[in-house]
Amino acid sequence: MILKKSMIRTLKEKKFQYAGVSLLLLLAVTLYVSLSMAVTTLEERNARFTEDYKQETFHFVPSEPVDSSKLQEWEEEFDVTLEARSYYDADVDDSVLRVFSQTEEINLPYLSEGSNPTDGSEIAVSSVFAEKNDLHIGDEVEISGERMEVTGFVYLPDYIYMIEQLTDLISDAEKFGIAIASESVMDQWSSRSQTEITGWTSDGEVPDGFMEAVRAETTILQFVEAGDNPRIQFVDTEIEGAKSMNNTLPLFILALAAAMVLLLMRRRIEMQRKEIGTLLALGYRRNELLRHYLGYAWVIGLSGTVLGLAAGAGLSVPLSNLYANYFNLPALSMFDFNPMVLVIGLIIPLVLMLSLTAWGIHRALKVEPLTLLRPKEVTVGRKSWLERLPLLNKGSFIQRFRLRLLVRNKARSLYIFLGVMFSTVLLLFGFITFNSMDQLVETTYEDIMTYDYAVYYQSLQTEEPADGSDPFTVGEVNVKGQDAKLTGYGIETGTPYIHLLSDEEKLNSELKEGAVLSTPAAAVLGVGAGEDITLTNSLNDEEMTVQVAGVADVYIGSQIYLPREVFNEFLGYPGDAYSAVWQAEKPERGADVYQIEDKQKVIDSFEATSGATRSSVIGMAVFAVVISVIVLTLLTNLIVEENSPSISLFKVMGYHNSEVSKLVLSVYTPVVMLSYLISIPLAGLTLGQLMNSLVEQTGFILPTDVSLWMAATGFVVIMLTYALSIALSKRKLKQVSLQEALKKQQD
Amino acid sequence: MAIFAEKVTKTYQSGEVTVKALREASLTVPDKKIVTILGPSGSGKSTLLNVIGGIDRYDEGQIVVDGRTLDGLKDKQLTEYRRKNIGFIFQQYNLIPTLTVEENVEVGRELSSNPLPMEDTLKKVGMLDKKAKFPFQLSGGEQQRVAIARALIKNPNILLCDEPTGALDEDTGKNILKLLKYVNETYGTTVLIITHNQGIGEMAHQVIRMSSGEIVETFENETLVDPEQVTWS
Ligand SMILES: Nc1ncnc2c1ncn2[C@@H]1O[C@H](COP(=O)(O)OP(=O)(O)O)[C@@H](O)[C@H]1O
Ligand SMILES: [Mg+2]
Repeated sequence: MILKKSMIRTLKEKKFQYAGVSLLLLLAVTLYVSLSMAVTTLEERNARFTEDYKQETFHFVPSEPVDSSKLQEWEEEFDVTLEARSYYDADVDDSVLRVFSQTEEINLPYLSEGSNPTDGSEIAVSSVFAEKNDLHIGDEVEISGERMEVTGFVYLPDYIYMIEQLTDLISDAEKFGIAIASESVMDQWSSRSQTEITGWTSDGEVPDGFMEAVRAETTILQFVEAGDNPRIQFVDTEIEGAKSMNNTLPLFILALAAAMVLLLMRRRIEMQRKEIGTLLALGYRRNELLRHYLGYAWVIGLSGTVLGLAAGAGLSVPLSNLYANYFNLPALSMFDFNPMVLVIGLIIPLVLMLSLTAWGIHRALKVEPLTLLRPKEVTVGRKSWLERLPLLNKGSFIQRFRLRLLVRNKARSLYIFLGVMFSTVLLLFGFITFNSMDQLVETTYEDIMTYDYAVYYQSLQTEEPADGSDPFTVGEVNVKGQDAKLTGYGIETGTPYIHLLSDEEKLNSELKEGAVLSTPAAAVLGVGAGEDITLTNSLNDEEMTVQVAGVADVYIGSQIYLPREVFNEFLGYPGDAYSAVWQAEKPERGADVYQIEDKQKVIDSFEATSGATRSSVIGMAVFAVVISVIVLTLLTNLIVEENSPSISLFKVMGYHNSEVSKLVLSVYTPVVMLSYLISIPLAGLTLGQLMNSLVEQTGFILPTDVSLWMAATGFVVIMLTYALSIALSKRKLKQVSLQEALKKQQD
Repeated sequence: MAIFAEKVTKTYQSGEVTVKALREASLTVPDKKIVTILGPSGSGKSTLLNVIGGIDRYDEGQIVVDGRTLDGLKDKQLTEYRRKNIGFIFQQYNLIPTLTVEENVEVGRELSSNPLPMEDTLKKVGMLDKKAKFPFQLSGGEQQRVAIARALIKNPNILLCDEPTGALDEDTGKNILKLLKYVNETYGTTVLIITHNQGIGEMAHQVIRMSSGEIVETFENETLVDPEQVTWS
């Protein structure tokens, strides 16, 4: 069809508008495809590593060594594979290197390079650790005073998210790494090493009665199922979270793009009414014209999606690598793609573009050719009810003109409103996250947890703790009727090391009335102050109903705080028993010490990752700005185009370009401001909701208050964006010719 | 192609107002003739042309073109009827601004199963040397020539012209009339010309006069005046 030429020329002439929509589409598709593909790769690697390398189902730490005949007995009785594994935390410079004995049945190491260590002076380290410490195969490294040769790089399936302690939140490869060594090396360190028993079952469940059987033999210091082990679980959480996030943002952008296409196509049809009428009168069939106008959607849709697919596929590689920095998964597979991703990334946007366009055109094509041939003045001239308001008929001509513009183009105002809202929410999400990281550390680790070290013992202690250390009891508790597990803390109400603050108010004394929950715990349970919860534990059959006395601003972890005597009694411990102490001084690693938590390390790892957070926040802000520039420019451009007869008339009358632009374009400034103001609380609210809905997976809640500086900075950014889009549209305004007004009057 | 209309009635309803645009209009247009329809503004000329051309429907009566009635034709059938038989020429030319002269004519050519040759047609309307120009680069007369070429190239049986010279000066207007006469003579096309320019009637085989939706007078010219010689008003 020769009309194709007309389309191509129109596309060229209005390239700004069509490219803008295409770009929005491209952004949506790129984002969706790259994230989805990266996650698919991550998922695939995780699944294969878990399965092929026999990731543990659980592990436990007995207080006494369990001999191998006992393990064998359990294996037969419970149809489970068990294997003892010893490890030793060696100091290497400033960091901790956890050296494991080589296993043969469970948690099999994956060697990405080099060979397994065989003799007493060889070691294979995790590749991230090697990278951070600039270690190569064949290099020597000093470990606890001994020189050892690096023979290879390893991955362990139970250290995918590499954190030193299970309570750690953020993995820091500078501070912690893993390694494997041969039996002979482990023997040298046997006096200082720990032993844990790992277990594997084919169905991934802990066999019924197994824990009781073990408990009959020895005290269990720790029993961790894979599902509760962040080193294993975190990657699953991330995959799940990423999957849901991956769809949301691209969907929003897609919706914006769709709205823009609809806007553009309706505009195009409006402009070409007469043309359509002529063609119909000449004898063109309606479906021929439909096909012609669908051409626009094809061009926009195909260019956006195909380029988006290509860009997305390309971007998925660095994204996968970024994930690889977080999760220690061997590259068992590369560039995995779910064909569905490609199909969805291509089909959905295209179908959406085509069907929306078809719908938009269909309405115009239904009109009789004769009606189309007649000038449209008849319908445009209708006044909307808003215009009849007396308010709009006062003031100078200019004022009335501007108000009319606003009122007549309600759809434009709405689009501008929504566009600004979308960008503001995105921008503030970025700001809040950025700010929250600091606030989270400050509140949780500085204001509330004022200790420097926590020392966990292998067995219950009863003697008076040393001066300067404050005893507490930790234990896992369940909440009746809920799936959630909480970490219970029995604390001295007068402890100097925990100040359970809630908005500056200290809740410690409230413990007499009941329990204090951390913010994530309250969110997971869905309870607030004043409500009752019933606790159970896995040690005995005790049940205890307590009132929630308050929720503290502890943003990390699902904790419940109780007075120590109360908690001990509940767990069946002696009243003066404790399992750990907090203190300010650096503790010695005694024989009965099971684990030492160094608070500074936790904070450091937060700081270490703030770089990554910062860049992702910057990315988000840039994204917000790009999208709003596209949307606002598109809209202002359309407004100029639609009002070109009036603009031309103003010019004929002697107005300067800048005056005209003020007249026509700045009408929308109040709309932009209003939208911004409404978006501020909306952003806080939606992010809060999002955090709450994700808390079960993430285990932390970010404070979501919008502070003054965010609001101010956001305002500046949004207004600058608006100014930029107006500046871009001014060019268009300059192009409006003086004859335009006269030409239009002829028609 | 001959056209018969019998007691055609058309009523427009816009809001509270009812307008009888055609009141029992009857006419016979013989094949291969030029017919002008005269009458003051609002007398129903365009409405008559539009119902004959199948871009509007009549309420009562009967229109028969080439022995086939337009009664009860569906939208699709009307489109096919226009596509095959009708060439429209409008007062406002209605060219597609994003297409060149040649491409605009091509728009018409694509509709036909036996189109005239492109070069020939462009030459006939005198636009061959300007075939690469865009409408905005042309004068009104030139644009109307292109519109004629667009209608002509389909090789239609009927050419319907609604005030084709209404926006043109005398010289240019007469040139267009010459062209229409030439088309009629060369291809045997039935040409209906609406005008409120009395003089144009002198060049037609038949003149129809309308007033308030009625056909008040029909007469045949004994001798045809050359378009060059018509009285321009
Ligand atoms: N779509 C329409 N709706 C209402 N009235 C119409 C419409 N089209 C034409 N008319 C009215 O019908 C009458 C005849 O119009 P028209 O055929 O255009 O006259 P002419 O072409 O002779 O000037 C006029 O009074 C006109 O106002
Ligand atoms: Mg008319």
